[in-house]
Amino acid sequence: MKTFRCPSRHGYAAEISPFLPSRLACAASQHYGIAGCGTLLVLDQDEGGIKLIRSFDWNDGLFDVTWSENNEHVLVTGAGDGSVQVWDTANPRGPLQVLKEHTQEWDLERPQSLCTFRGHEGVVYSTVWSPHVTSCFASASGDGTLRVWDVKMGVSRLVIPAHNAEILSCDWCKYDQNVLVTGAVDCGLRVWDLRSTRQPVAELLGHSYAIRRLKFSPFHRTLLASCSYDFTVRIWDFSRPEPLLETLEHHTEFVCGLDFNLHIPNQVVDCAWDETVKVYIPASLADLQPCAD
Amino acid sequence: MTLFTFRIQGCVPGAVQAVKVQLDPSQANVLKMHRLRVVSGHLSPQNRLGPYSHAQIARSECSASLPVAADDIVVVHGLRTAIGKAKRGSFKDTTPDELLSAVMSAVLRDVGLSPDKLGDVCVGNVLQPGAGALMVRVAQFLSGFPDSVPIYTVNRMCSSGLQALFNVAGGIRNGSYDLGLACGVESMSLRSVGNPGDVSSRLMDNAKARDCLIPMGITSENVAERFGISREKQDAFALSSQQKASKAQERGVFQQEITPLTTRFVDEDGKERTIVVSKDDGIRPGTTVEGLAKLKPAFKPDGSTTAGNSSQVSDGAAAVLLGRRSMVEALNLPVMGVLRACAVVGVPPDLMGIGPAYAIPAALRKSGLSVADVDVFEINEAFASQAAYCVEKLGIPMEKVNPNGGAIALGHPLGCTGARQVVTLLNELKRRGKRAYGVVSMCIGTGMGAAAVFEYPGN
Repeated sequence: MKTFRCPSRHGYAAEISPFLPSRLACAASQHYGIAGCGTLLVLDQDEGGIKLIRSFDWNDGLFDVTWSENNEHVLVTGAGDGSVQVWDTANPRGPLQVLKEHTQEWDLERPQSLCTFRGHEGVVYSTVWSPHVTSCFASASGDGTLRVWDVKMGVSRLVIPAHNAEILSCDWCKYDQNVLVTGAVDCGLRVWDLRSTRQPVAELLGHSYAIRRLKFSPFHRTLLASCSYDFTVRIWDFSRPEPLLETLEHHTEFVCGLDFNLHIPNQVVDCAWDETVKVYIPASLADLQPCAD
Repeated sequence: MTLFTFRIQGCVPGAVQAVKVQLDPSQANVLKMHRLRVVSGHLSPQNRLGPYSHAQIARSECSASLPVAADDIVVVHGLRTAIGKAKRGSFKDTTPDELLSAVMSAVLRDVGLSPDKLGDVCVGNVLQPGAGALMVRVAQFLSGFPDSVPIYTVNRMCSSGLQALFNVAGGIRNGSYDLGLACGVESMSLRSVGNPGDVSSRLMDNAKARDCLIPMGITSENVAERFGISREKQDAFALSSQQKASKAQERGVFQQEITPLTTRFVDEDGKERTIVVSKDDGIRPGTTVEGLAKLKPAFKPDGSTTAGNSSQVSDGAAAVLLGRRSMVEALNLPVMGVLRACAVVGVPPDLMGIGPAYAIPAALRKSGLSVADVDVFEINEAFASQAAYCVEKLGIPMEKVNPNGGAIALGHPLGCTGARQVVTLLNELKRRGKRAYGVVSMCIGTGMGAAAVFEYPGN
């Protein structure tokens, strides 16, 4: 396992570049994100460890990060002041653009929002584009619902009352366009099939505190990872009767960020409030062969 | 700029629960409170919808907050001698300056710090004349410290070793110096408890003053009777201490914290030889409940306090190097622990053993922590009666208390104990590896209690 320490910065999100398997980004905040500033860390990993390539500061906490999929130098972060920043790793001076008004979707070519999607009755914690259907995305909310949206329509295509608690994260299965997973404050993960939303396909229990983030594996149809306020990262296979494969307890604070590497099979990055970013291959995945399903 | 600390209650044990936030009075607090409520809502057991569920956010002055602040008082390193049984054990012929000199030298040698960097040295001692003020200066020179380094002693009875640490921390905090050595030493082989000094005859007309003369063993009986701590419970506690200490000694747990000492020893035929002492000699691995039950009460004919469920009379020394974090880091010295809170409280002299039951909550309050947040408690076992009472009163799970045994098995060299407990505590947390909090506490003869909260930063 490789660890990067970022003193006085508490990680909220981590993502590995879709272009460069060794490149990763972490959105981190001062004072646990409650107050103070934020830092975007651009890191690089090799056999020796993880090193800092560049860091960008913002005057509020940074809570999420994602890499552009059409430009290997571009990243986007979400900040506590409601703004979205577009960064270029080749440009150390500051963000390329700052877009403020967090209720709206942006096209980087145009500085105004393209569309606003209303419907949720609580905080929207997470939104994820479908990897299969170009105009489709899902959202997880504090109102307990998972919603699926089509960009061409202004309203949700599907509303699933997925949990009786705030849903903090959701993700699409990379191999089945109808399958999603949600993770909530009730400590449970639920796998959903959009074709029959009355009950979940699987319920994954094991975490002892709210789930902060989850991701489906890019290499296995039924494998996913979750991280939680209970300090652990867990690996699940929802096709098994005993779905919990592994519990990783290498953090000493809330684990908020999680991502899989698209190029290095089964490699995971995570970040936590304990001022560390870790990159590793979970033992339960190390022996698996990637399946082309 | 006002400094507030928010404590998110109901968190998992061990989580950093206190967040120190600097708030500009002109800034709206609304934003910070909102974010805290959102996170708090995620942790609330009710798991109701919406961020404003039954989240309890308490705002308090709190010192156990951000892991790193330049002004933190940190423990750099600490060591102790082995503890020897008074009058019969390893150090019966060793003067206290030798014990003290050994630990002072060893601590500085281990970290490669030259003694001229010390701003002051404070040594806890109880029984030496003048609390050992001259003796410690001799010890300093035996260690080769330059005369430019000052030294003094402090006597708050059984807490003296911890009080020395409080004093050095205070000196650092008030800007008098950046680095100091806090020590404790006692030879109960060479000096005994007993002389109350010169006190007025008016003492007899003053109930509280009179109570200060009550022998410690009788205060133990008072606690046992008042709070219903049976002989069986006391013996069980004592057995546990012996077993834990035995196991720890067997596993070599104490090797890390004991500095071997070469000293003179006069055996029964009057022959003097030189021995190397590196093991506590008071531990009795063969202790059994039956064996303890056979012992006669030591202080009162029909009492429950015996030699087996009381602390031993012992010899020993310990030293702890403290510093302001900014200076410690500038000198590339390690950080073994961080002092997070201190408390000293007064309790009735006739029940002096209840001291920790009041001092521990006071220290925890100052640090913004609760019993659940602390992984290890080093509570001095002056008597099993009072130690068991305090543990029960505070609801501390027994597995958190003195995991490597306490004074019943190891011994209680009065002035040394407080410093010794700090060394044992931090070494135990270091062995466990993860970031954690620990507490050191003891009762104090004449009716007081002291406690300190330490943080181990994690490997």
